Amino acid sequence: YAHGAGGDQMTDLVENLAVSRFADAEADVGLAALDDGSVQPIDDEHSVVVTTDSHVVSPLFFRGGDIGRLAVSGTVNDLAMMGATDPLALSSSLIIEAGTPKTTVEAVTESMQAACAEAGATITTGDTKVMGSDEIDTLAINTTGVAIVERGTHVPDAGLSVGDKLIVSGTVGDHGISLLSEREGFDFGGDLESDVQPVNDLVRAAMDAGDVTAMKDPTRGGLATVLNEMAEKADVGIDVDEQSIPVSGAVASAGEVLGIEPYDVASEGVAVMAVDSADADAVLAALREHPKGTDAAIVGDVVEDHTGQVVLDTGFGRRYLTPPEGEQLPRIC
Amino acid sequence: MTVSVTGVVQGVGFRPFVYRTATENDLAGRVKNTGDGRVEIVLDGLQADVDGFLSALRTDPPPLARVENVVVEASEPAGLDTFEIVDSTDSSGGSGSIPPDTAMCDACLEDLRDPESRFHDYWATACVDCGPRYTVIRELPYDRPTTSMDDFPMCADCREDYEEPSDRRYHAQTIACPGCGPTLSLLDGDGSARADGDDAIERAGDRLADGDLVAIKGIGGTHLACDATDPAAVEALRERTGRPEKPFAVMAPDLATVESFAAVSDDERAALRDTRRPILLLDGRRTDRPRWLDAVSPGLHTVGVMLPYSGLHHLLFDHVDGPLVMTSANMPGVPMATDRASILADLDGVIDAALVHDREIVMRCDDSVARYAGGNRRFVRRSRGWVPESLPSPAETDRDVLALGAEFDATVALTQDGDVVPSQYLGDVDNPETVEYLRETVSHLRNLLGTDPDVVASDLHPDFLTTREAQKYASEGDMAGPVQVQHHHAHAASLLAERERERGVVIAADGTGYGPDGSIWGGEVLDATLADFERVGGLSTFSLPGGTAAIEQPARSLASLLDDEARIDELLVDRGALATESEAATVRRQVQAGVNTPATTSAGRLLDAVSALLDVCTDRSYEGEPAMKLESAAVDGAVLDYEIPFGTRDGNRVVDTRQFVRDLDALAGDHSTGDVAATAQWALARGLADVAVGIAADRGVDAVGFTGGVAYNDAITRTIRERVEAAGLDFLGHDRVPPGDGGIAYGQVAVASVRD
Ligand SMILES: [Fe+3]
Ligand SMILES: [Mg+2]
Ligand SMILES: [Zn+2]
Ligand SMILES: [Zn+2]
Repeated sequence: YAHGAGGDQMTDLVENLAVSRFADAEADVGLAALDDGSVQPIDDEHSVVVTTDSHVVSPLFFRGGDIGRLAVSGTVNDLAMMGATDPLALSSSLIIEAGTPKTTVEAVTESMQAACAEAGATITTGDTKVMGSDEIDTLAINTTGVAIVERGTHVPDAGLSVGDKLIVSGTVGDHGISLLSEREGFDFGGDLESDVQPVNDLVRAAMDAGDVTAMKDPTRGGLATVLNEMAEKADVGIDVDEQSIPVSGAVASAGEVLGIEPYDVASEGVAVMAVDSADADAVLAALREHPKGTDAAIVGDVVEDHTGQVVLDTGFGRRYLTPPEGEQLPRIC
Repeated sequence: MTVSVTGVVQGVGFRPFVYRTATENDLAGRVKNTGDGRVEIVLDGLQADVDGFLSALRTDPPPLARVENVVVEASEPAGLDTFEIVDSTDSSGGSGSIPPDTAMCDACLEDLRDPESRFHDYWATACVDCGPRYTVIRELPYDRPTTSMDDFPMCADCREDYEEPSDRRYHAQTIACPGCGPTLSLLDGDGSARADGDDAIERAGDRLADGDLVAIKGIGGTHLACDATDPAAVEALRERTGRPEKPFAVMAPDLATVESFAAVSDDERAALRDTRRPILLLDGRRTDRPRWLDAVSPGLHTVGVMLPYSGLHHLLFDHVDGPLVMTSANMPGVPMATDRASILADLDGVIDAALVHDREIVMRCDDSVARYAGGNRRFVRRSRGWVPESLPSPAETDRDVLALGAEFDATVALTQDGDVVPSQYLGDVDNPETVEYLRETVSHLRNLLGTDPDVVASDLHPDFLTTREAQKYASEGDMAGPVQVQHHHAHAASLLAERERERGVVIAADGTGYGPDGSIWGGEVLDATLADFERVGGLSTFSLPGGTAAIEQPARSLASLLDDEARIDELLVDRGALATESEAATVRRQVQAGVNTPATTSAGRLLDAVSALLDVCTDRSYEGEPAMKLESAAVDGAVLDYEIPFGTRDGNRVVDTRQFVRDLDALAGDHSTGDVAATAQWALARGLADVAVGIAADRGVDAVGFTGGVAYNDAITRTIRERVEAAGLDFLGHDRVPPGDGGIAYGQVAVASVRD
């Protein structure tokens, strides 16, 4: 694919096929919602939140992280994006290419352990499969996460409404730009690194400070994709102010050289939140107090106009912000 | 004797004209409008007088009328002894055409200048021969209550003129005088009123003379104006609107003033004076070129010029000496403001004052822009003065089509019983306001034309908002489609349809169009019919490192074309086109890795790269800038002796773009920028023409055409035309449809009309 933007049509196809087969009417949030995870009531007071993800990444070890940290953070964060900041249990399934050095596997599992400690999570079950060389490239990890929340306290993607503020908890595009640069051999000096990290603690701080109405992490397809999904699911419009989107200096300059917008590529340690406007300042302050949220910023508003779509104010005019699909082909003449 | 006249004959003062002509020829009888858009005349009198009448009918109709057909039938004398105008049989008039807006006519201008006239110094006077139409009509039938003149009830004097058949204001729906018509006011930038009426114009003139930026609400839109001869004012306009280099159009009080700063040919003189009053891109004078021209049209040898078309403009020039910059009053990405509130809001911080009036602009319509290239008129923008006039039907079909065009410089087009009506210029359809404007325009035109499209057409680009809108039209209304038309096929089809040809080998050269192979096309030779096309040659593929970034910084494409580390560093880094050697290395690496590096065959991008190579323009700040500045750099250059490098792609002949750029780089060592620029344009044109002529000869096709945004380039157009005509083939160029993306909707209609 073009630049870590995802938009893989095969994935969409499978998701659509699965959704039509496994629609679940009982769930608070089921498969059809295509949310970060599902929410199933277990009794009057509690729901179980479940999420699962398969991780492949090249290279396995990259600046700022590795596949193990990515797998644990991805799953912990998907739970957190549902409002479930206290993971109960994680599973881990490793699929390994025959002949992969033992040290590699060791380093990955060590990293998973460290990430779990950081997130306050435990891997309680697991599996390992070895496949022939040519059948898989070195290593893939599937992780599943489970958490219990009080019934009704989960945060769906579609919970935003007109008037809410949109907050991004940190700089965007770090993972995508850094990984691409490393993989393709671009040299931008030493400042680029992936932001991969569990953010459940950060999300907890935000939720304690105010009413977070919707949440997603801008992984595949970046901030642009996530905002479009939120607008579409809630049937509202979103206005974003380009200047206020937090971007690190290194990512901004690398993105400029590559012609890639930081909001089009993945972050792995950031949350995008819609927040009741009355609580926006409090939530922002809580985020900024947290070491993982020092760059948090209010980036936009939920509006009534242009429902299902996101409009970017560039400072010199307004245009639609569309999700990157595959390679971004220039449109301008 | 009964005479039936078809064409644009209603709402244009045709019946009073018939009345005058008949009475001048001593004829009795009557005239009336018919419900199907004709005018029917009954005449009693001598044959010689009838002949005189009929010849005047054909040679001297009212300025806004278009007589298409006159059918004369003998009939019994009706025994009438006077001539009278009879009310319409049916006032629905739905199939009559709405005329475009036109400039104030000479007779109204005379009234405006005549101290004895009750219209003296009144800016908004109009008659059946002139004034706003398309921009004030809400719906049909065209009558005062269905226009925005509805807010201004006629005074007794106006009513009298309106009802007097011999008056040229007879049934002029936009009739108005100082007693009853719209009024002007001058506001400060913050909205506070400063002056009204004549005073407002005078004060606006003073403000302009003082170097202020003034918004002027006119007929179908609003201009941002400043004194063109005051570089500080022009600089302020650039800064406040974020347009550092973009050429601004100017309005000059009269032809003599135009000729003091631009060279004007006979054709251009006629076009400037034409009642449609387009902005014409003229050659700026090269000897005693006034200094201010460099601020208005930086780096270009051309300047956009128009003459006054509203009474407001004529009166304004009583208080301002020189030419004024008159650019559309819009900020990037938003359609031009048309009412007081949005003028003040959109242009907050930009304008020092606003001259506004209280008549609503129902449909905005930007100024038309044209250029004479290769000896023929080419529309850059076909808008005010031409819209909503129809263009020839591309094919025999009963299918009505709505086409949404491309995304940038967009127009839409609708058909009405086969005739194609392209819309006014809409702008760049990439933001909510312009999408809304597009939708309004579609429904307005549908209403006025009474048409109900069967099928909707769009571009093939998956990310164009117009493509998505087309999907919405298809799913909301009962329209089939969308029929997705490849961009360059649409360009070619627009040319074939305009020139009424079934097939031609067409050179379609522009900046960006989505190809069916997922790459960016733009230097194509197509063997095309309306229904289909085959790509038979063009330019060899090169890379756009960084995608859109490469379009904004042509140095990137140049780096990939040169593919030579040392030269890239010398040329681009040393000159500051790329910031550092590591940036240059990254761009090279990007091409090798294929990261965000779309493949292209774009002629526009190739010209951009040459512009960067010659250090003419390395950063683009407006559409077309690098190629336009290259054309200006080439204008006094001589074509050097040069052999064009050809290669093949998929068995087709293509110009080898890499070799081409390396050759030019070598030539630039020993020759002037002007000579190398002229050589580059010549070689690109000649190379594409050679490919096209070869194909036409092989396949027995008798015409070669040229379309796309590159066809605005005069030198390139001439070279292609000469090569084609030297081969004994017909050269097809545009005259009525823009070669650029403003013509795409018309081409889409042509394709969708015939494609199954
Ligand atoms: Fe084009
Ligand atoms: Mg969520
Ligand atoms: Zn007139
Ligand atoms: Zn009056």
